[in-house]
Amino acid sequence: MAYLTTFYWGWLLASGLLGFAMGWISVVQHGNGVSRKLRWWLSALVAALVGVALARVVPGRFGYWLDLGLIMFALYLCFCAVGSWLRGWVVSRSAPPA
Amino acid sequence: MHGLFRWSSKWWPGVIPLVIFWAIAAWTSTEPLEIDLAQRSAAALKDTILDKRRISVAGRDVTLAADAFSEDGRQSAVASVAAVPGVRLVDDQTRLVPEAKPFVWSAERDVLRVTLSGSSPLPATRGRLMDAARANLGGVEVVDRMNLSRGAPPRFDNAVLLLLDLVGKLKDGKITLSDTKVSLSGMARDLGGREAIAAALKKLPEGFSVAANEVKAPPYIFQAYKDPVALTLTLTGNVPDSNVHAALVAAAGRKFFSEKVVDNLKASVGAPASFANAAVSALGALSRLSTGTLVVSDREVKLSGDALYEAAASEIRAGLGKDFPQGWQFKPEISVKPAAAPVDATVCQQLFAELLGKARIRFETGKANIVADSAGLLDRLIETALRCPTANIEISGHTDTDGDEAANQGLSEQRAQAVADYLVKAGLPANRFSAVGYGSTQPIAGNETDQGKAQNRRIDFVVK
Repeated sequence: MAYLTTFYWGWLLASGLLGFAMGWISVVQHGNGVSRKLRWWLSALVAALVGVALARVVPGRFGYWLDLGLIMFALYLCFCAVGSWLRGWVVSRSAPPA
Repeated sequence: MHGLFRWSSKWWPGVIPLVIFWAIAAWTSTEPLEIDLAQRSAAALKDTILDKRRISVAGRDVTLAADAFSEDGRQSAVASVAAVPGVRLVDDQTRLVPEAKPFVWSAERDVLRVTLSGSSPLPATRGRLMDAARANLGGVEVVDRMNLSRGAPPRFDNAVLLLLDLVGKLKDGKITLSDTKVSLSGMARDLGGREAIAAALKKLPEGFSVAANEVKAPPYIFQAYKDPVALTLTLTGNVPDSNVHAALVAAAGRKFFSEKVVDNLKASVGAPASFANAAVSALGALSRLSTGTLVVSDREVKLSGDALYEAAASEIRAGLGKDFPQGWQFKPEISVKPAAAPVDATVCQQLFAELLGKARIRFETGKANIVADSAGLLDRLIETALRCPTANIEISGHTDTDGDEAANQGLSEQRAQAVADYLVKAGLPANRFSAVGYGSTQPIAGNETDQGKAQNRRIDFVVK
């Protein structure tokens, strides 16, 4: 993992920044999100892909691309959470007390 | 926490650029990553001895194909690659180098090259053998047809290095090492090379032995060439020692009275038995030819050239074989020199005088038996007599003053008659010759010195 991080840290950074920006925006964004049911399906899909990656059953380049996608996606989610949490904290501080 | 869960439902739009990033990252990084992993894997195997190593990388999965020389080496090679950072899976396509049983190695030498074939235990050994072969054989092309196998006997390297040294002593042939048994065949480069090889084989490392040594010695060659234009007899090739050398040169001097002997002989071991006798007999036959070449190769004598007349040719063809020791072969290729133009009696007399001025017909001491060394001279006298068929010739015998006069008279008559009989036997008509003995009555030099006496003991041809 350390080797992969050094090898394409730029893309991981880009994923993180993208996640941070998306998390930041999502706090104040209007409109509907993903439905609860779909969210479970998507979570299950991601879990399945993680399982496949850990089991190393996808060979060669496809296996590498799967690993790369999941790492970028994981970083994206982490930074989304960080961005949303920070924005939520900023919004709650600036809002007038109810 | 609830807020984070609610907000997360709105994170999905970012996945679209993320997927684009992912695609670009996959597109640009795959090949550099694969190249980098291949290099790192190769570096990890730097100290592992493998043959036919191939590393291919797909994504982060490395396929390692190689021939290993031991099970430990094979496993350690796979483990080394698996431990390279970034490698996800190793597809192990390694195998053990096949075991050769028996473990056979050979070196074959022909005119142009030396070919090393069979099995070699390790790539380093193979390289060392090639280097040693090139160093030992200076300039000869060395071809590597060896493959790598397991199962070499202990001290294989030492044994093969010694055998490679022996290849340098072969003119052609093959040396084979099968497990610990050495077999040799072919021909040694030099006389004495066979013995040198046999001696070197005693130094084989412990456990190795000679199964068959069929290395032959090169033929023992002795050659003589009679050149009628340059008036030389050239002797080349080998003689066993300085005694035989001196004897052969002395015999050549006696038999070839008008040719200068050019001595290019060198002493070498390995002469066949009775070499000296055979060579002297063969030189005698050569001395009877007008031009000719004598080649003695081991126990085979080849004589080719032109005899001076038909009867001499038949005599040489038939007679010489009898003179050789048992086990020798004689292969004559004798033709007859075209007859020279007839001349008148005066010229004939001149020719006789010229011949007898160069050499004398020689007899056994105190007897009337012509010695074999005079055969060449007699052939020339006969050839001359054939050129003047109408002339009658007196063959006169003379002696020195030693001994009883009556005995000398008798001896001179007998010797003159012996020469006349020789000529008649060669096919000349008996009525052309008269044999006369003069004893010591007609000296041509003083009888006080040995030299003078030797000149007086003579046979003269007088054309009447």
